[in-house]
Amino acid sequence: MTTLHTRVLIIGAGATGAGLLRDLALRGVPALLIEQRDVNSGASGGNHGLLHSGARYVASDREAAMECREEGDILRRLAPQCIEDTGGLFVAVRGDDERYVADFPGLCAASSVPCRGLDLGTARAMEPSLSPDLVAAFAVQDGAVDPFMLSLDNIAQALSLGSSMRRNLAAQSMEVENGRIVRVLCRDITTGEDVRIEADLVLNAAGAWAARVASLAGARIGMLFSMGSLLITQDRIATRVINRLRKPSDADILVPGGTVSILGTTSIRVASPDGCRPSVAEADRIIDDARAMLPILERTRYIRAYAGVRPLVSLGPAGDDRAVSRGFALVDHAADGLENFITITGGKLTTYRLMAEKAADLACAKLGVAAPCRTRTEPLPASTLGQWTEPGKGPRTWVDSRTEDDLVLCECEMVSRGVIDSIIDESGAMRGRSMLKAIGMRSRVGKGPCQGGFCGQRVTGHLYDRGMVSGMQGLAELKTFTERRWRGFSPILWGVPLMQADLQEALYCGSMDLEFGPPPSTRDDEGACAPVAKEPA
Amino acid sequence: MNTYDVMVIGSGFAGMAASLFAAKRGLSVAQAGGTGGIDFSTGFIDLMAVHPVAGQRVWEDPYAALAALRRDLPLHPYAHVTDDEIAAALGEFAAFLGDNGLCYTGRPGRNTLTLTSAGTVKPTYLLPCSAWGGVEALEAKAPTLLVDFHGLKGISARQIAEVRADWPELRTARVRFPGMGGELYPEHMAWSMADQARRIELAEAVRPLLGDARFVGFPAIFGMTDTMAVVRHMEELLGRRVFEIPTLPPSIAGPRLRAAFDRGLPVLGVRTYTQKLVSAAEVSDGLFHFTAGSGSTAVRIAARGAVLASGRFFGKGLKADRHAVREAVFDLPVSQPGKREDWHRAEFFDPRGHGINQAGLETDAALRPLGADGRPFHPRLHAAGAILAHQDWMRMKCGAGLAIATACKAVRDLNQNL
Amino acid sequence: MDFFSIGLGLACLSFVLGLAWRVHGRPGSRLPRPSAGHGRVNRGLAAGLADIVLLRRTLRGGKLRWAGHTLLLLGFLPLLVLHAMDGIVTRPLFSGYEPTLEPWQSARNILGLAALAGLGLLAWHRGRRLPSLSRFQDWALLGLLASILLTGFLLEAAKMSSPADFERMVADYFPEADSEEFIALQAHWARENGVRFERFLPTAQEILEQGRELHEDRCAGCHAATSTAFASRALADALPAGIVLPRTVPPIFWHLHVGLSFLALALLPWGKFLHPLASPANLLARGGRRDSGFPASALGRNLALEACTRCGQCSLHCSVSPSRRVLGNADILPMDKLADLRSWLDRSLDGAPLADLVEGSHVCTECLRCTQVCPAGIDLQDLWMSSKAALSEEGRAGVDGEIRKRSAGEWARELGSRRLGGVGSSGPGLADRAESFWGCVQCTTCTGVCPVVAVSTDPQRDLDLTPQQIMNYLRMGLKAQTLGARMVWSCTTCYKCQEHCPQGVPVADILYELRQLGAGTLRHKGKP
Repeated sequence: MTTLHTRVLIIGAGATGAGLLRDLALRGVPALLIEQRDVNSGASGGNHGLLHSGARYVASDREAAMECREEGDILRRLAPQCIEDTGGLFVAVRGDDERYVADFPGLCAASSVPCRGLDLGTARAMEPSLSPDLVAAFAVQDGAVDPFMLSLDNIAQALSLGSSMRRNLAAQSMEVENGRIVRVLCRDITTGEDVRIEADLVLNAAGAWAARVASLAGARIGMLFSMGSLLITQDRIATRVINRLRKPSDADILVPGGTVSILGTTSIRVASPDGCRPSVAEADRIIDDARAMLPILERTRYIRAYAGVRPLVSLGPAGDDRAVSRGFALVDHAADGLENFITITGGKLTTYRLMAEKAADLACAKLGVAAPCRTRTEPLPASTLGQWTEPGKGPRTWVDSRTEDDLVLCECEMVSRGVIDSIIDESGAMRGRSMLKAIGMRSRVGKGPCQGGFCGQRVTGHLYDRGMVSGMQGLAELKTFTERRWRGFSPILWGVPLMQADLQEALYCGSMDLEFGPPPSTRDDEGACAPVAKEPA
Repeated sequence: MNTYDVMVIGSGFAGMAASLFAAKRGLSVAQAGGTGGIDFSTGFIDLMAVHPVAGQRVWEDPYAALAALRRDLPLHPYAHVTDDEIAAALGEFAAFLGDNGLCYTGRPGRNTLTLTSAGTVKPTYLLPCSAWGGVEALEAKAPTLLVDFHGLKGISARQIAEVRADWPELRTARVRFPGMGGELYPEHMAWSMADQARRIELAEAVRPLLGDARFVGFPAIFGMTDTMAVVRHMEELLGRRVFEIPTLPPSIAGPRLRAAFDRGLPVLGVRTYTQKLVSAAEVSDGLFHFTAGSGSTAVRIAARGAVLASGRFFGKGLKADRHAVREAVFDLPVSQPGKREDWHRAEFFDPRGHGINQAGLETDAALRPLGADGRPFHPRLHAAGAILAHQDWMRMKCGAGLAIATACKAVRDLNQNL
Repeated sequence: MDFFSIGLGLACLSFVLGLAWRVHGRPGSRLPRPSAGHGRVNRGLAAGLADIVLLRRTLRGGKLRWAGHTLLLLGFLPLLVLHAMDGIVTRPLFSGYEPTLEPWQSARNILGLAALAGLGLLAWHRGRRLPSLSRFQDWALLGLLASILLTGFLLEAAKMSSPADFERMVADYFPEADSEEFIALQAHWARENGVRFERFLPTAQEILEQGRELHEDRCAGCHAATSTAFASRALADALPAGIVLPRTVPPIFWHLHVGLSFLALALLPWGKFLHPLASPANLLARGGRRDSGFPASALGRNLALEACTRCGQCSLHCSVSPSRRVLGNADILPMDKLADLRSWLDRSLDGAPLADLVEGSHVCTECLRCTQVCPAGIDLQDLWMSSKAALSEEGRAGVDGEIRKRSAGEWARELGSRRLGGVGSSGPGLADRAESFWGCVQCTTCTGVCPVVAVSTDPQRDLDLTPQQIMNYLRMGLKAQTLGARMVWSCTTCYKCQEHCPQGVPVADILYELRQLGAGTLRHKGKP
């Protein structure tokens, strides 16, 4: 059994874990980040990608609103590569609550969230897809954030400062001696290899799985889980983020990002963060609701659906000093008799940096490190690790500076063989099994209209050619990848996507008999689920 | 406006077969359909191989599988055709292809396992002669060289060799295709192989790699209209048995089939309207009136009878919105799962197959689709192929065979009523 | 020297000089010379003859135009040979020929009417189908031919009605006639042949009978009844009763008729007036071919340059005619482009018209349709391809050449923002509308069937992007990245991609739209 030694172990490579890894590295504390699957495979990847202006929370949670505005400004300034500063609109249509509309500008002013009233003609000229039944519109400073690039850039800088990361490594148990976690036992879920990690301090940033991780050390966090589903449209639909101007509810935000738009979300209480998946009923509910705001949503082509699980932390009586903010929860488990164990969970993508800062402050206090937080002032460098998650990067690079002998393997999103090779090479120590899914996460492969039907097979062939997979493993990974895409694909199968699926099954089952042969390389319970950057409804 | 005996709606396997059988029986035939059916074929003619699908039982004898199928699933369209009718229809179909330059082969009464571009093997009944060498090589696990090309996406010889761990003497090589660079497309390569000089250049590139190989496999690119001549020439040049492996559709197999029908059907007097989907149909004075195509190029066609072979979703015979599946031409009732939740299973590769794939048209024993009242919609409207309900051609491995057999049955019964 | 000799002499001089200039005068060197062994005159003599005699190619362009041409040829050619050149053709061949005898007299009327009817059909066709494509010379040719025919009829009518001509004939051929005989003959001719006399003539039966006998005896040998010249007679009879033509009228019509005929002869080598000679010659040289023989021989090219009848078929069938509407450049359509190409070859084209020619030359997709439909069998494809090369060689590469100077990526930076667009369905064109791409299932069929991709030895090097890739760029709103893609500028608009698309994506329409957009953008920037 391998044993790894580290001063700090961070569990969970979502935005918070990645931000924490960077924050500590910048304070001179390199850490080891472990992740049971891959970067952002929980809620950090399963959300709208909305950089909140704060306007959404002005009525329900002024503190969260101001936090969002501040953190949004910081991210725009320090991580511009991850942000598309689209601007946003809040719009109400006939039948919406008029009192809420009337109160909105005042509430924004009270939270110092910038907000400007628009006349309806201007709003419709700005966003021609808006409903003719528009009754009110306000401009706010919402934006879109690429959560994958954000996490990958955080990780990349931390790695350059001596931190390290292992993916596919799940914490299985913890050994506690004298009120300290002395050892974390982990297993590589693709190879079955056991790994022992010895750390001075353990930071639990496992998002919706935080309670489970805490329980490994015998600590208890009360959590409830709320699953939210979202839809991705093939087209951008709008230039700006469009919010429904009403009390936060289902299906009231459309976030355009890159070449697509993301529409959501719903809220369903679930028992566990595992195995969540969007359903047909939720896809229908989202469209039935949101088309009042944007009628084109009834006709447009959808690419896929996905879901995330929001962790709701029950923190005990109000005023508990462990609650830094109602948006997120920072728990010092010293109260549970565990001196070197901290949990940070909940929150929103927009405030990930603040969460990392607060957790790192606490961690440094425990480690006796005096260095201050630098993420509030230091720009987040763009990395080669994160660059290919950007829509449009592939096609622009292809016409701009392709190399002579390159080929396009993913036609939908113009991801070339060269790009895939660079991702493989960049992954370095993070390489390993489930390469196809890792490539999918770090690029646009499988994210276009074909949903992997063509590119999956082409990239698999290339992985065989490069010797990255052997035997049946490549086919098994292709099947895993396909099943993973299928979760999001199956709820939106009517019209053209149904034809696309018909064609894909004709290829995969009708002509290649892939329903026979090796089972998917890992089973389905790996989730896409966790906190969505949205306050529970 | 001419009035035809039969209007064939669709140009996939079922449509092509219906036109062929009707014309051979002396009927005047018009046929219209878009691309998308036969163009996406792998070229294999499956008859019947897997039943029950949930158990993934693969049958070597397709007729034994058919007997079991008819017993277990009496609603399956194959229940309306006899083994003799199927055998005769397949024979007639293959003979027509042979006459038009596409050689097919197989083992009477037995399925054959053949290599796919993914490296898997699949059971099929008839396959292009150009692929037969691959069957022999696979069965004997003979020393074989698999060649693929720089720039031809979606087929990796190394993948096939890795997946076929049971075939140690399978070696691979990647070569440059003569005269072309960058991204390659099978149709362009196939046309260029018409040039003998290209074959010689290709053979020269491969010859040094042959070693002890007795067979050499290539992605399917050997010519469009004279495949076996190219294969034989390559065998002569290389001194080895040569075979083709179909590439990821749309491969060359589809265009070859289409070319054969484009040549052969007009000779039989079939009036074909290519790349024109039938967009509307009405019945008056005992005649069908169809509109094919749209806009300024739309044509009107009158016929006394019709065979609906318009395929499923990709073929545009069935269309679905968020709420229901409909039939595209006559708006016939479609047998389908009650809710969209039941259209697809949680896992794509679920061996039981997806509910939506069993959706389609209910028919009487003469393959006449039923109207809303449960009686045949029209005495001279028959249906054939993938649009029929209670079958899953992708999982049962019965696509082309079902299309050909039901087309034959539909035409025969229609002919008796004309 | 009289009017006739001088006129004929001048007309012949113009004809000979003009023809010599047309045949030898053009500096053919401006078009790249075909490499040896390629250029050839076809040997399909029978096919070429059939094209000429039966006007087979004209028939393919429409029945109306074919009927007009056939009537004109069937009427005009015999008139030209048997009537205009009767002194050297008809009289030596047919003993006893007199233009005023039957069958010549009625034949002339039939032929003249047929030719006029043909001209009428052609004029109607042109007025209805090609009003915007027609120029002065088109109408001038029709007008000149019609004028010759009409003055012929008027001349004949005037002569048969004119007392002066009657008196001259009597003086020449019946000088011994006494006044009673003269009056009797006058009375007969007035009644039977429509001559108008100033004085009142007797109508008594016996005088008319005497006149008839005198006519039979002295006139009938050379004069059939004027009623056989039915058309002219009808014209003469249409003169209101009591009006007598002054003596000066017939000579006026004669001078007009003969003068216009000389004018036609003089103009024959000039402009489209040569086509009655050049088109058949070209058809013969082409030997029935409808495809392109690029590169054509020098002789073939010279014939081709002269053979245009300005019938407009090419322009009506031009696959880039929508560009004409958008860019407003007449030289986008083949017929006008050919005229300017001739001027350019004659070194008489410069400035804006030359810029038009260059643009037109590069908007052309070389789709071959104009060559296929040309009734004169002109190998337009050869002219376009060779002139495009020649223009490029002189540094006039047009938009196409400008585009090819830089990569698609450089153009993307030049032409467009880096912002992702494609918002909703608000754009003006197919390429802007998200709906255009909803159907795409990424099957690569459009690229797989594309003949341009097929002939490129390396698609990404030669074309930057394939058709499917362009559709994907547009779906993602990356229009700027596609405008400079050489695929767009190499598309032949053969429409295979669009016809084969299983999902109804208008691939070719979109590629074409991009091309227009690129041309417009560059023009706006004043680049080419």
